Amino acid sequence: MSARITCDIGGTFTDVVVSDSSGGLTVAKALTQPSHLFGGLRAALERAAEQLREPLAALLGRTSLFIFSTTQATNAILEGTTARTAFLCTEGFPDILVRREGGSLRPYDYTRAFGEPYVPRRLTFEIPERVDADGNIVSALDEAGARARLSEARALRVQAVSVCLLWSTANPAHELALGELIERELPGVPYSLSHQINPIVREYRRASGTSIDASLKPLMQSHLPEIASGLQAEGFAGELLAASSAGGVVPMSELIERPLWSVRSGPSLAPVAARTVAAAETGSHRVDVIVCDTGGTSFDVSLVRDGDLVFTNETWLGEPFQGHITGLAAVDVRSIGAGGGSIAWVDPGGLLRVGPESAGADPGPACYGRGGTRPTVTDAALVLGYVDPERFLGGAMALDTPAAETALGELAGTLGVGLREVAHAVLSIANERMIAAIHELTVNEGVDPRDSTLVAGGGAAGLTILPIARELGCREVLIPRAAGVLSAFGGQHSDIVREVTAPHVTSSQAFDFPGVRETLDGLRARMLAFESELPAGLAGEAQRRYFVEARYAYQVWDLSIPLEGDGVEDEQALERLLERFHDAHERIFAVREPGQRIEMSQWKGRVVIATTTPPVAARRHAAPEARMPQRRTAYFPELGEVDIPVHLGSELAPGAGVEGPALVIEPETTIVVYPGWSAHVSALGNYRLELA
Amino acid sequence: MTPEQTDAQSKAPRQLDPTLTAVLAHRFEAIVREMTNTLFRTGRSSILNMARDFSCAIVTADDQLFAAAEGLQVHVLGAGLQTASMRELHPDMREGDAYLHNDPMLGNTHTADHTILVPVFFAGEHIFTATAKAHQADCGNSEPSTYMAYVADVYAEGGLIFPCVKVQQDNSDIEDIIRMCRRRIRVPEVWYGDYLAALGAARIGERRLGEVIARYGVETIRAFVAEWLDYSERCMEQAIRRLPAKRLHARSRHDPIPGLPGGVEVNVTIDVEPERGLVSFDLRENPDCIPFGLNVSEYCARGGCMIALLNCLEEDIPRNAGSFRRIEVLLREGSLAGGLVEPYSASVSTTNVLNRIINAAQSAFCQLGDGQGLAEGAGALGVGFSVFSGAYPDSGEPYVSSMVIGNNGGPASPHCDGWITYAMPDCPKTIYIDSVEMLERTYPLHFRSLRLLADSGGAGRLRGGPAGEVVYGPRSQEPLRVFYLADFAVNPPQGVRGGEPGAAAWASVIDLDGSERQVEPVGDSLLAPGQWIRGIEAGGGGYGDPLERDPQAVLRDVIERWVSARAAHDVYGVVLAEEGPDPGLTVDPQGTRERRETLSRERAARRDAADRTSR
Repeated sequence: MSARITCDIGGTFTDVVVSDSSGGLTVAKALTQPSHLFGGLRAALERAAEQLREPLAALLGRTSLFIFSTTQATNAILEGTTARTAFLCTEGFPDILVRREGGSLRPYDYTRAFGEPYVPRRLTFEIPERVDADGNIVSALDEAGARARLSEARALRVQAVSVCLLWSTANPAHELALGELIERELPGVPYSLSHQINPIVREYRRASGTSIDASLKPLMQSHLPEIASGLQAEGFAGELLAASSAGGVVPMSELIERPLWSVRSGPSLAPVAARTVAAAETGSHRVDVIVCDTGGTSFDVSLVRDGDLVFTNETWLGEPFQGHITGLAAVDVRSIGAGGGSIAWVDPGGLLRVGPESAGADPGPACYGRGGTRPTVTDAALVLGYVDPERFLGGAMALDTPAAETALGELAGTLGVGLREVAHAVLSIANERMIAAIHELTVNEGVDPRDSTLVAGGGAAGLTILPIARELGCREVLIPRAAGVLSAFGGQHSDIVREVTAPHVTSSQAFDFPGVRETLDGLRARMLAFESELPAGLAGEAQRRYFVEARYAYQVWDLSIPLEGDGVEDEQALERLLERFHDAHERIFAVREPGQRIEMSQWKGRVVIATTTPPVAARRHAAPEARMPQRRTAYFPELGEVDIPVHLGSELAPGAGVEGPALVIEPETTIVVYPGWSAHVSALGNYRLELA
Repeated sequence: MTPEQTDAQSKAPRQLDPTLTAVLAHRFEAIVREMTNTLFRTGRSSILNMARDFSCAIVTADDQLFAAAEGLQVHVLGAGLQTASMRELHPDMREGDAYLHNDPMLGNTHTADHTILVPVFFAGEHIFTATAKAHQADCGNSEPSTYMAYVADVYAEGGLIFPCVKVQQDNSDIEDIIRMCRRRIRVPEVWYGDYLAALGAARIGERRLGEVIARYGVETIRAFVAEWLDYSERCMEQAIRRLPAKRLHARSRHDPIPGLPGGVEVNVTIDVEPERGLVSFDLRENPDCIPFGLNVSEYCARGGCMIALLNCLEEDIPRNAGSFRRIEVLLREGSLAGGLVEPYSASVSTTNVLNRIINAAQSAFCQLGDGQGLAEGAGALGVGFSVFSGAYPDSGEPYVSSMVIGNNGGPASPHCDGWITYAMPDCPKTIYIDSVEMLERTYPLHFRSLRLLADSGGAGRLRGGPAGEVVYGPRSQEPLRVFYLADFAVNPPQGVRGGEPGAAAWASVIDLDGSERQVEPVGDSLLAPGQWIRGIEAGGGGYGDPLERDPQAVLRDVIERWVSARAAHDVYGVVLAEEGPDPGLTVDPQGTRERRETLSRERAARRDAADRTSR
């Protein structure tokens, strides 16, 4: 039986999910080996093979599709371990990466220094040349000058080169010429040209993305082939795909050419997973889904609107304004540091605060018993009885409840409230940051949380998702059975996605029908070329959709509006397109301006080729033994301390129901069924939770 | 205490759950951020949709600034003044109304900031006001500039003034007002789009506030408001109680301009009273209003003092009317520092003289001891922050907008070097910067260069932020008109506690033959095709003695080209040695010690000589 394997190589764990063609899922984890990624991956694969009771070679031998995602690129950027990269810019404009776009999240704070640029100034080289906004060459590329700069770069032993010249999007001649010069002067050094990486106007965003791309090339060009050859050596002969930040997959060879696409690609698969589960559970593909992926150190929120993933052009690595932007249209995944390690404290005004300071993993929360003494969110959950100290992380670490009580006790003393009350307050305040993040994402898209399904994944998913849902007004919460490995599970259900864009300026007042037709035909040809280059094993039915980036006259931020079919055929189709723009503007920004000129400058095609995703099958389940659940004490503000049942997920058959308050323990997460909520296991083996 | 407050408190629950207080505080900030995002994405002029020269806020029904997120400091800290005039002038206001307010005599910043006020009702009762204040591309002034320095009074300034007039009723525009603006403002389409953007932001705020009130109930929300303001006050009080008691004086002088040969000197006296948990700012000892557009409105003067204090406190204190109860600002009617009287103009109220007030006040806190206060920040509204205008070559239609592309260096603090994209003291760090490509796409401009300058940040133990240099001109056959008001060209931003001043501002015009002539830094130029204007904003002042700067930090500065090797040697006393291929330099510790001793001795000798001369 043919299998499909997805992996997500994270900073700590490597997750593997194996599915067979009937939809059976096998999940395995191993520690990531940062210096030898394939080592960690092989360990996880071996565990999966063990569970399936077959040799690894047999498993890989019957695997038709292997989908790879990794946070290595993201981590390398955040940790500053990318290649030593030179930045080539138009003469006169060397500080694009230093200044970014201004702004600050903490305008009154004079204790923190300005963030370092992605490429230091000493590795920035000004190239004598200039193209203007219309694409005219104002001053020709001075090749001798450029060669001199490149030899300086060579003397500084750069390992990659990023090229972003002003208006290369309007006329790429100088960037292309520089590319040739780099090949001659710095043979073997990988480089990235901005008009190829991301042809957008706004020099900072383009330069930042291009520099990130170049800086990742040496790393990815060694890591990815290592994975490919490692898999082949173990007997894999199928197709190898890699996740991209566009919420789909591309052939691994494309990612080696454009490593920028791999940045935050893992988290972008979480909404793919959530969409699949929500569609299977509700029977509808046009769903609004809020997706929460709660790990140990971060909380990621993303959105599915009317069955579509939601995209953003503003993905920052590190803090907005002070980190580095990718500039790429990518799945909108908002990440906030709100993990179990966030420290609770009382400020001078007497208010209880949670974070931003975190105890991290080491020393970690007080209950880890590794020397941490300050109270954290995890300590609060433990004190409330929401975590079983013997079964934390599948029993990998026993938790020290008295240590957590001592840490929170001090806080309770300061505030003059009881221990459980303060623990509950800590969780509520931590939740509020997540609620704010969800609000910002949903309201920006005009999605009403009350009409949406909330899908929760990640190791800490079940701890506080229900009070968050209640506060948002969501009546239904889904916790997939693969909640602990949401991204790897998403890989199982992702399609090949490729986007192409082309500029063509027109407006509602003098719409250029033939020009638009020609532009869209060009996009179509590029998508067809991409499709035809796919290996035969991946060829499938291609769905092509077209979009236009549109705005009212004088605006500069576009709304992406889908076209009907594959073009704008006539006046009526144009009228309907304009109406959709007005509607979208009003939905998102509360106002419309009928009659105002609408400008359109960028056209986009997205081709989706469905891979043969596994069916979402019913959970195979051995008949559970009827056994009395264990019990423990937990605290809920409306009930006080109560004795509640603790169910093992493995013993709950499809159709089983659990009334809150109760705990359900799964190997990778614990679900707290709060009072007033009920959980039941669906036919597909997912948890559906509802407010009574 | 107002009647509303008493009423709210009597009906409020015994004491608000502290968890709910924290939860709702987040919720209100999120609403302001959503309002802000709306205005940013939908604004039509570059000053809004790129630079974000606008701010949104929520004010209580009794005119207390409640939430302002990351709004521009000068825009939001005085927001309660404007809603007071709305209540006074429109006692019959009701749901569906919106008001347009840009009158500096009635509590606005300056004429160019159009403010939309939407009173938010619940069950027929006014609970909050959602406000959106946005700098306009043009406001109908007598010249195409939103900052008019050389005007004797508001009549010469010439902008349309709306003393809090109703602009919407039942959620529909009052066309008379819209027509007035369309007639008088140079770019009516852009203005109307920006008006819609601000209105949309305020209406989004109205919608969300309604939802929050409906969710929690009006009494809980009232109790929360009272609680949160009290909490904010306690935070401020605690922070002030940790300061030493002292009376501080400082002054700062705006550069001379034609007609004002002595410039404008401002005086600030600050009483830090930790035992009372109070800081009071006295701006009364300042000159009377002057027949120039440089007078500072009450809104700006009050905001300026608050900016200075908030910058100097390390704690993150909520910025609202609660914490402001601990700040007293004394103004004198008729004074150019916040005592604006008719018919004087406050066209430039948000920047030039105000930036001097803020600098004087924030640097005065250094008198409390090492580790306190800030140096002066650069605040040149120069060539890189100009109001530019002309006509599109194809259509002949006029354009006018402001650019935010220049770079003023931030003040060094006791903790770190000056912020790079500081903007200026009245809106430090918050305003965004334009993209060269977007400016060139939107307007017929062409930039020749834009770079940060080495050795432009004031030297010190902590270094001031760098100044930027920009060169640009028209891209078509149409001329380009540029207005700029670069203070800090004569009196650059000062360092403190032994820190040195930052680089001075500069403005010049480069002719077709390449020759360059300096121009009046507060003035305007008409550039013909082929001409360029070159401007340098200023560098931030340094904090502490440059001889105490960590030599490794100086080495990094040299490698990263913020400081020249020469300045490292001459000013910082750091001797560098060449070593290896990369970074190629290292600190010579022995040489540095000797060099610093020499510089100290020379400095002492100079001081002695100066003392002898003065005796």
